[in-house]
Amino acid sequence: MQVEDKKEGDVLVVKVLNKRLDAQAANDFKEKMTGYINNGSPLIVLNMSDVDFVDSSGLGAMVSVLKLFGGDGQLAICGTTERVARMFKLTRMNKVFSMFEGESEAIEALSK
Amino acid sequence: MQIEDRKEGSKRIKLVIHSNLEDVSLIGTAINTLCSSIPLSDTDSYQIELCVVEAVNNSIEHAYGNEKGHEVEVVFTLYPDRLIVDVCDTGKPMDQECMEQKDVSPLEIDPNDLDNIAEQGRGLPIIKAIMDSMTYKTESGKNCLTLTRNI
Repeated sequence: MQVEDKKEGDVLVVKVLNKRLDAQAANDFKEKMTGYINNGSPLIVLNMSDVDFVDSSGLGAMVSVLKLFGGDGQLAICGTTERVARMFKLTRMNKVFSMFEGESEAIEALSK
Repeated sequence: MQIEDRKEGSKRIKLVIHSNLEDVSLIGTAINTLCSSIPLSDTDSYQIELCVVEAVNNSIEHAYGNEKGHEVEVVFTLYPDRLIVDVCDTGKPMDQECMEQKDVSPLEIDPNDLDNIAEQGRGLPIIKAIMDSMTYKTESGKNCLTLTRNI
């Protein structure tokens, strides 16, 4: 799982560089995100603009990560492609995750 | 890849991968390309790719228990009015109750009740929501999940 990260104020922006968040990538993804959370990053924007395929394993990993945040942290998703956004809608995950079109929108929402 | 004997009015291709999650993307990419060439829309091609990937994942994870050294076979058959994808393995057959769930209610969730939102188990409901039909058969040690989409 390839990611790049940057800090924008109090918000950590993590961009997934893999094109597929699938069964093969799911565990790596969870590990990476767990590392960020355990290192004290309670506010994370996950930029998924490079991801063009998510399956139920990838979704499950994202749910697992969301659960790690607990009450004090927040996760926002940005940049999902249309096909991935449809998959989120099909699985009702668009109601579970805070989703934004652009990175700056997501950062602003978490910075409030 | 292997081209099967041509049945009247159909075109068919068989793809085989090892039971290794790393190889599933090969199937996904191939299915997406086949669907796009029909041509189906980008959205429909992705959704069918997703269904086939979910089925292949199930074969590797549940039928074979993530054990390497086995094969998953995917047969894509195109008719003028529908496409059929058979995903087959020779592992442990699926529990019948997984198939018997008649609706997609596992996809219904309470977004405010995070603790009770499942991290697994969405594969078959996703397939049921996207494909026009899904059937499962076990014969002579070979299990096949057959997905049909009208086009």
